[in-house]
This record gives sequence, C-alpha cells and structure tokens, in this order.
Amino acid sequence: MLCHAVHRLLLAIPVLLGVLTVGFMLMQVVPTDPATVRAGPMATADVVAAIRRDLGLDRPLLVQFGLYLARLLQGDLGVSIINNIPVATELGNTIGPTLELMLASLIWSIPLGLALGTIGAYWRGKLIDRAVMAVSVAGVSLPVFFLGLILIWFVGFRWGLLPFTGRSGPLWTLDGLIGITLPALTLGGVFIGPVARMTRTAVLDVLGAEHVRTARAKGLREITVVLRHALRNALIPVVTLIGLQIGFLLGGAVVTETIFSWPGVGRLAVGAITSNDFPMAQGTILVLAGGFIVINLVVDLLYAVLDPRVRA
Amino acid sequence: MLKKILAGAALLGLAGVQPALAQANPPDTLIALRAFDSDNYDPIRSTARSAGEVVYMLADTLTSVDWDMKTVTPGLATSWTVSPDGKLYTFKLRDDVTFCDGRKMTADDVVFSISRLADPANKSPVRWRAGPVKEIRAKDATTVEYELTQPFSELLFQLSLFFASVVDKNSVEKLGANFGVQGFNGTGPFCWVSWTPRNELVMTKHEGYKWAPPIFKNPSPQVGKVIWKIVPDDNTRLAAMQSGQGDVTQYIPYVAIESLKKTPGIQMSQQPNYFWDYFLGFKVDKPVVNDPLIRKAMVMAVNRPAIAKAVFFGAGDAADAYLNPNVLDYDPASKALLPAYSPDNARKLLDDAGWKAGADGVRVKDGLRASFTVYGITDVVWTRTAEAIQADLRRIGVEMKISLFDATIAWGKLATQEFDAFVMSYPYVSAGDALNLYWPSTNRPTPNRMNWNDPETDTLLATARGALDPIDRKVALAKVQERVTEANVWIPLVREQLWVASSKRTVGARAHGLYGVGIYKGLDISLTK
Repeated sequence: MLCHAVHRLLLAIPVLLGVLTVGFMLMQVVPTDPATVRAGPMATADVVAAIRRDLGLDRPLLVQFGLYLARLLQGDLGVSIINNIPVATELGNTIGPTLELMLASLIWSIPLGLALGTIGAYWRGKLIDRAVMAVSVAGVSLPVFFLGLILIWFVGFRWGLLPFTGRSGPLWTLDGLIGITLPALTLGGVFIGPVARMTRTAVLDVLGAEHVRTARAKGLREITVVLRHALRNALIPVVTLIGLQIGFLLGGAVVTETIFSWPGVGRLAVGAITSNDFPMAQGTILVLAGGFIVINLVVDLLYAVLDPRVRA
Repeated sequence: MLKKILAGAALLGLAGVQPALAQANPPDTLIALRAFDSDNYDPIRSTARSAGEVVYMLADTLTSVDWDMKTVTPGLATSWTVSPDGKLYTFKLRDDVTFCDGRKMTADDVVFSISRLADPANKSPVRWRAGPVKEIRAKDATTVEYELTQPFSELLFQLSLFFASVVDKNSVEKLGANFGVQGFNGTGPFCWVSWTPRNELVMTKHEGYKWAPPIFKNPSPQVGKVIWKIVPDDNTRLAAMQSGQGDVTQYIPYVAIESLKKTPGIQMSQQPNYFWDYFLGFKVDKPVVNDPLIRKAMVMAVNRPAIAKAVFFGAGDAADAYLNPNVLDYDPASKALLPAYSPDNARKLLDDAGWKAGADGVRVKDGLRASFTVYGITDVVWTRTAEAIQADLRRIGVEMKISLFDATIAWGKLATQEFDAFVMSYPYVSAGDALNLYWPSTNRPTPNRMNWNDPETDTLLATARGALDPIDRKVALAKVQERVTEANVWIPLVREQLWVASSKRTVGARAHGLYGVGIYKGLDISLTK
C-alpha cells in the first residue's frame, strides 16, 4: 500500500512541473504586458516603460522563468506585481474559503447522489426510478450559474431567507453556516446528477451478480445486501467519477464564487489573470493544479482500499 | 408565510431557524456594493475609480468641487491666493485637522503628499496632474506655497482629485510599497480597518472629524462603519440592493436603472453634472481615416440617439458635442460644428469626394477601399455599440472591422499603431482636464491615440494652461474644441448617466461624480436602523 502511494506521488511531480511550465508560458503569450495594465489607460509611454523595467519584464523570458523556478524551490511564490501582497498570503487567505465551499457542497451532494442512484437501481423502471433519472438529468443539464441565480432570486431575494453576498464567517460558526448554504447548494446541486446516474448504472450491474444472489440466498436482510454487497462493489467507477467531478468542481467554484461574491481561490485566479498579475496567476494555477493532482491521488489510493486487487 | 416556511424547510432543512437567517445589515454600518476592487489604495499609484471612491473617504484634498462640478470649494485649504504671474499658489490650511492616528496635520504633510505625486522617481501615472511643479514648501504650519515653473490654470481642479490626497508621511515611510495595501493613515471622514482584496474593505468613522468640505450639510460622518463589498455579478448585486443586503451602490447595469426607479424602498439619485463620455476616435495619420471628408461623413452616418436608447437603455444621453455642456469651459459654438445625423448627406458627401461604391458595396477611391479597423475593450456595451456603428457606416458604403479585446490585453493593443480607430470612455472634471489629456501632441501614442499633432492645438492648450484670467482660458479651450470638432477626429457617442441607488434605511445618499465617484466621501449619509 505504501509503495503504491509513493509511486503515485512520484508520478505527480512531472505533472506538476508540466503545469508550471505551461502556466508560465500561457501568461507570456498574452499579447500585452502587465506594465500597461498597471499604469492605466491614461499613462504616458515613459511611465509604462519605467514600470516594465521595475517589474523585470524587460528581461529575457528564460531568465524570468529560471528566476521563477529558483524562487519556487525555496518556497517563495513571489509577490503580486499589482499590489505587492505576497502570493502565499493571498493563497492562504483564499484556499480556506474554497475548501469550505467544496466541503459543504460535497458533504450533502455525494450521499444524496449515492442514495438516489441506489434507489433508482433497486426500483428500476418504477416511478421512483424515473423521478431519480429526472433529477439527475436536471442536475447534469443545469449550468451552475443558472442554478445559483435561481436560488438567489427565490431563496435570497423573493423569500428573503438567506444571505447571498459573500462569506459571513468560518464554517463552524452559525453565521458561517448560514452564509455558505446557498453557494453550497448551488455547487453541490450540479454534482448530484452525475453521481446518481453513475451509481444507478453501477449498482444495476452488481445487483445481478452471483455474490449478491448468494448473499440473498444466505437470508441476509435486503438493506444489508444492497448496501454492503451491491453498493460497495459498485463504488469503484463511482469513486472515479467523483474524483473527476471534484476536479471539475474547482471550475464550478470559480463561477459560484463569482456569483456569490465568495472570497476563494477561483475569484483570486480570475482576478489575477484579468489584471495580468503573473506571480499571482501562476500561484493560483499551481494550487488548482496541485489540488487536482491530490484529488486524483486520493482517488487512486481509495481504489486500493475498495478493491485489494489494485494493490497487487 | 406557509409557502415561505415550506420552501425554506424543503430547500434547506433549516426550518427552525429560517426567518431570521437573512439578517438585515448591522446597525450603523453602511454596506456599499460595487463591481470591482482596486489594485491598491495608494492615491498616487492607482487611476481606478474604485480606488477613488475609497480614498476620498480615507483622505482629504486641499480643494473640493461643488455639486455643480464647476465651482472649486475649500477642502483642507480654507482659502488660497494666486500670484499675478500665476506661478505661485499660497494655500491657507485648517489648523484643526488630525490623521486617523491622532497626529495633527500640518503644512509639512501637504508638502510631502503632493511632492510625492509630482516626483518623477515615484512613477505616478498621473504625475502631470500636479502641474509643472518647481517647489512645494511649507511657509509655516498652516501655509503651503505651491510654486510652478509655468502657470497651470487647471491646478485647483486637479488638487480636488484623489491623487492629490494628503497622507501621513510616517505611515507611507513605514509601509513603503504596502501603503494603501496593508494600511492607510489619512485625515478623511473614515479610517482604514482592513482590506481583503476582491472581497471587502472595512473602514470606521474618524472620531473628531469635523472638517468636511462646505458642500455637505454635516461636517462629520453620520455612520459608524462602512464596508465596501465587492459583488462582481450584476444580477447578484441588483438582488442584494433590492433585498436590503446592500445599502448603496452606483454600479447599476443600464438595463436595470428604469426598473430600480420603480422599485419600492429603493431611492435613486442622479447627478446631472456628470462627465463620463463614450467616443470613437480616428488615428488621423492612417489611410482612409486620414481623409477629413470621410471622417465627416462617418460622423454624419452614426445614429447616436439610437445607440443611447438601444445600448444604454436610455441611461445614457446621445453626445452632441465633444464635451458635456455642463462642464466648466464648455464651448456651445463647437456643438454647431458637429455634423448632424444625416446618412443621405453623408452619402452625397462621399459621392462628391470621389468615393464610389465598389462591387461589394464598400466605396473605393484611387484603389483604396473605404475600410478600417477599430479596436476597443470587449464588453456588452462596446460590442453592441460597435456593431451599431458598423451597421450605420455600412449604409454609407464604409466598412468598419471590429476587433474588441479582453481587458487583459486591450490596453496593450490600444498602445500600438495597429488600428485605425478606437472606442473608449473616460471621466473628466473640466474642459481643460479633458482636452489636456487627449489632445497635446506630446501625449502620443497614449493617451493621444489619434496621433493628433497640431501645433495650433498645442499652442492653444498651452495658452489655456497658462491663462491667468478664466476668460482667456475659456476662449483658448473653446478654440481647441472648435478645431478638433471641425476636423472630425472623434465621433462623440454617448454621455453616461450617474445614478446612485440606496436602500430603504439609507438617508442622504446623493450622487456626486467627481472622477466618476458616485458616493463622494460618504458624508451626509445616515441609516435609519
């Protein structure tokens, strides 16, 4: 198991290096320079040139990249060229709210998706199955921004039940819980559909398997048969999907954070890119890519837990 | 009520605590909503309106501008005199002003702050606004002498802008590049508490503040705390205002202004003297658009009222001159020089000038197609505006190719010579301010993107800047307006309107508009609960 984990970790290093290089180069191919953005539309050419020199943007590209990597190896993500705030500080301030949002979204949507999928599979072809399919199709089809705006319009505005402009506090406080409810419903809402559909398909496959028939023959209670013998064995493709979906959730978080003014990494990334803040953009790319890699790593390790054959 | 409870319970599973969840805003705390944050809040480093609206609250300027946007009124300076040669301004300062840390403000602080703006070493993009400074010195604790190498008639207006805010030298030296990022110590009605970039900026009432400019009814702030909250999504921001989660905002989509006026509980304040204009400018040395006749025909072809109605939903006024008629030193005569809308006359003008329609409907003269490229920033307003102009020009046989760029790259593209025309909007405080920004030949390639290089304009602008008599300044600036209007260098398009929306509990929110800032200093605003 340990060897398996180490192997997966080592594989992540070249991926991360690739992300760093591509992220750096992508920011370079944008056909402008941040000095112009920083100077503003009314600045004269000499002011822009002076700012460009100050930022080190007049140096050769390879030198800039080399310096960036050297700093990174020392744990220095640099400082924002727009407002001088250390990138690490900004990331530290925004990772927490994003993780909170993802956690709050997944904590209800994964169990609900699993439950709906299992119910649909068990009562295949019945009305309840059709209802589950309808919910999951809606979940797959609804864009995250649309669901967010619907919730804001009805729950936040028309009925005045919940706040929808920003984070009210940490998740473990009542204010924090109240403030995160609508963003978490939005982000989690689009997660239910894919999970429910995949669970339904996987459980359907397993329900007809011989070991399930054997379990029933042994006289086990039906709920034990479904949950322990069918659902557990159906989880591998579902876990794969969840892993992938969590990665996409990071993308959805960018939209959700924007709609709900949530101070997370997604908004930081968008802000950094739109202001050509190279160090900040690279920092956020690093974190988002790192998050994706970690999620995949966790999924790989979960395979090994769920299916001992993977460890072999 | 039943529906409310059921919906809340079904959706949230929190029925027991439901009705109180969407709490009203805290008492004595003004929640100001806006779409964007600023990069920083150092007055000399940011040119953003979003910086201005905060810095005006945190700091004061020597002068202020009345609601008419023409009258310069006292600020930190109670009075001033100008030497007969116009090169020496002597400002008498209030002697009861303190910074947020309690230290008394003196003339040395004014000297430090404005010298900081004027010092080339600080690379401020708005350094020119301080004028041709020779020396700024403190004569005594309450007197500042501002000496120029040449007269600068715009100075009093420029000193009302937030770039010239008086800040605490100790704080600037202590924080260095982090001044306006990690902290700010000014003399304004509110004091810096914290800033979370892209999220919120919190400030509290400056205890003891009583030196508001005389344009306000109350010399002191009426709310204990202000939170500037970033709500980037238009729909969310609107819903927040309508549901009372926000108290005040000027960031209202054009399409929503009419409906907000009719929304119960929302109060709307408009500033009629607001100067933020949209225009299309031609690079006058590029093929096709270097022909004054074709430029004139294009001005005649664009239906500006239609753009104001269709794109701005009536929340913009069709521009009938290069400048707003309410601005100081506006020249009414130049309005008559702007060709009236008439596609028929435009077509005739081009026919007479030898521009003949080609096979594809685009006119040709001496082998040159009447085709040009316009650059700009992509957003809903500019996309629709550019498309409307494109359609209007097509009707007279002129092809306009549109290249709008994301803001990330637009400013870089707009600094090049790749394009023939550009679309842009900008704020200004006076005719002199606007004309001195765009039209001096020394401001090529930016912000003089037209490459307008006219010695006569330069001379007139220099005359206006150096005028000792306001009448002389007005005359010189009028000639500039007439000169550039006759040359049809721009197609003036639309004048943006300024509206400030405030919630039911908010009293006294009045739109001001200096440098585009609607909620100027936050004074006179109070909350009923």
